Amino acid sequence: MTTLTSDIRLARQLVHGSDRREWWRIALTAAGAAAATGFALAAVTLASVPSGYTVSHFHGLLTGAGTRGGVISGLLLLLVPVLAFLGQCTRIGAVHRDRRLAGLRLAGATPWQVRRIAALETGLACLLGSAVATVFSALSVLRLWSGPTAATWVGFALVAVGVPALGAVAGAVALRRVVASPLGRVRRTVRRSGRGPGLLFLSGLTVLVAVAPLAMNRGHVAGNRFDWHTPLTVFCLVVALGAGVVWLAGATARFTGRLLAERARTAAPLIAAERLRDDPWAPARTHAAVLLVTVAGTAFLCIRHALLTDLHAMAPDHRAADLAYYTTGLDLTGAAVLVALAITLSGLAVGTAESLATRRRTLAAQVAAGVPHTVLGRALLLETALPLAPALLLAGAGGMAIGTWYATLTSDGSLPWTALLVAPAVYASCLLAAATALPLLRRSVRPGELRYA
Amino acid sequence: MTHGDTATATHGTAAPPLLTARDLVKAHGRTEALRGASLGLRAGEILAVTGASGSGKSTLLHCLAGIVRPDAGSVTYGGLRLEELPEKRLSELRRTDFGVVFQFGQLIPELTAVDNVALPLLLAGTTRAEARARAGEWLERFGVRGQEELRPGEMSGGQAQRAALARALVTGPKAVFADEPTGALDSLATEQVMTALAHTARESGTAVLLVTHDAQVAAYADREVRLRDGAVSPLEVTA
Repeated sequence: MTTLTSDIRLARQLVHGSDRREWWRIALTAAGAAAATGFALAAVTLASVPSGYTVSHFHGLLTGAGTRGGVISGLLLLLVPVLAFLGQCTRIGAVHRDRRLAGLRLAGATPWQVRRIAALETGLACLLGSAVATVFSALSVLRLWSGPTAATWVGFALVAVGVPALGAVAGAVALRRVVASPLGRVRRTVRRSGRGPGLLFLSGLTVLVAVAPLAMNRGHVAGNRFDWHTPLTVFCLVVALGAGVVWLAGATARFTGRLLAERARTAAPLIAAERLRDDPWAPARTHAAVLLVTVAGTAFLCIRHALLTDLHAMAPDHRAADLAYYTTGLDLTGAAVLVALAITLSGLAVGTAESLATRRRTLAAQVAAGVPHTVLGRALLLETALPLAPALLLAGAGGMAIGTWYATLTSDGSLPWTALLVAPAVYASCLLAAATALPLLRRSVRPGELRYA
Repeated sequence: MTHGDTATATHGTAAPPLLTARDLVKAHGRTEALRGASLGLRAGEILAVTGASGSGKSTLLHCLAGIVRPDAGSVTYGGLRLEELPEKRLSELRRTDFGVVFQFGQLIPELTAVDNVALPLLLAGTTRAEARARAGEWLERFGVRGQEELRPGEMSGGQAQRAALARALVTGPKAVFADEPTGALDSLATEQVMTALAHTARESGTAVLLVTHDAQVAAYADREVRLRDGAVSPLEVTA
């Protein structure tokens, strides 16, 4: 206990004596943990609603077990971008922290001590966010629901403890190389090949192809009995899709980098293209989330259009109130896509800022040598703009393909023109998100940085 | 031979200073790095600024190169008062008239050696092909032939530092500011880098201001000044 107390004190001292980046990391990690806890608690609350219970909100959408299950799945899916954002936040100032913890190892700290301090640094920030979200969620539940069950509170407790624990484990795992080497990571010598996401994509696809037909057959035979094939199919689909878009994001970044590095005529595209060529996988996860949101957003607009067309065709005389059950569901899905986009864009902004902070000494040296801020700023924007252009084009096309397929199945096959705007709108939003780091470039990349090694 | 303690104090009948600093004062927070330092850098000379760690050597170099503005005092170059110039003009000056070399970090890790050296030319509007060709010539001059397509992380420290020197000199600057350029190198690499720098500077008539705490490096200079507590001690001619 004494050791833990001293570790907490040391972690607090280290954070307190550190620069503003640490406070940004803590604040954003806490915000990410709060969002993750909020979505998980909402899912837990809905899952604990007893069958037969009538939920008056959202036009009865949450009353039926089937639609409620869909909402729960949507909330759990929203955890994916939230957790990606949380991961992005925990990496803020990672280079600085790596050095600091490597210094602790050099000073004689054991690997376990360093791991514990790292876990405490991240875990406490997550605990703060999780606690705030839990209190607000509990108050909301008590206000909206007269009789929350014991299962609700058990779920609350598990989530409130689980999210900080997950954050702590992630924090410790992220520093495994520092733990291994007291000298820390001076430079990365092994380049990521991108084989991981590629293999994961192929494996997921293989299992999916094997299991999906079985699940479809069982669906007809098994009726309402629990069938393991369906969850496995969904799991494989999510894994294959996730790995596939990461691979797509990395592959397009590498392709764009290679193509433009040879052809760049001016400094900014050259710097951006060479950075992409050197490490196309660095922004792949964030870009992958952007691509997923684009596919989902484009497909959603098409599916929404098809469903509404179908509903109006089946019951042309129905008033808007009669369709509220369906439109509420569609609106909730649209809101979920927008929330996912907002979280993803926040992750992109944080990632861009973090990339700047990590390279600020090198960038300061460039400024000192006369490279204008505008060139470095343009290069920073191009690092986002170049790989995302072809990738978003593909993602938009993918979303349109899904939407077209659905529309031809259920309605007259017409498509909304607004679906075509999703990819350009997401592209513009990404550029704006990346541009939020430009003031940081001007402020933090100062020649004064050259005083520090 | 001992000279006066200001920059304008020149030895013998040498040319007037290319760059003059007068009574520079600069503080980092509550720490005063420079307390009235004065110095002159003449065209074509190699001037070593030595001193203990924390004596203000790097801050002096940053002020002279227009990288940071002094809190008080002035830096004059070609009739221009650097502390009065806007950042854009200073940036342009560092790109065209000055070259800057640090201990490390000045090469962009993602660019190849030849693209790193070509960068100042690209910024000046030279075409990529011509910039790369000229960069290749400079790399060859600094003995980094055959390494053009390597990235800084794939080169040895000495090779990377010679590439950095090539980058600093590729635009034909009037002055090069080198802050501990061999601080991270072994003695053999130090000798290679300093020989290349001294030879090229003398050949092209470029003035070099060299900040170092290494006597082996300072020995390449025509003149040496010592900084103590943020002020320049009496100048001493070493060559």
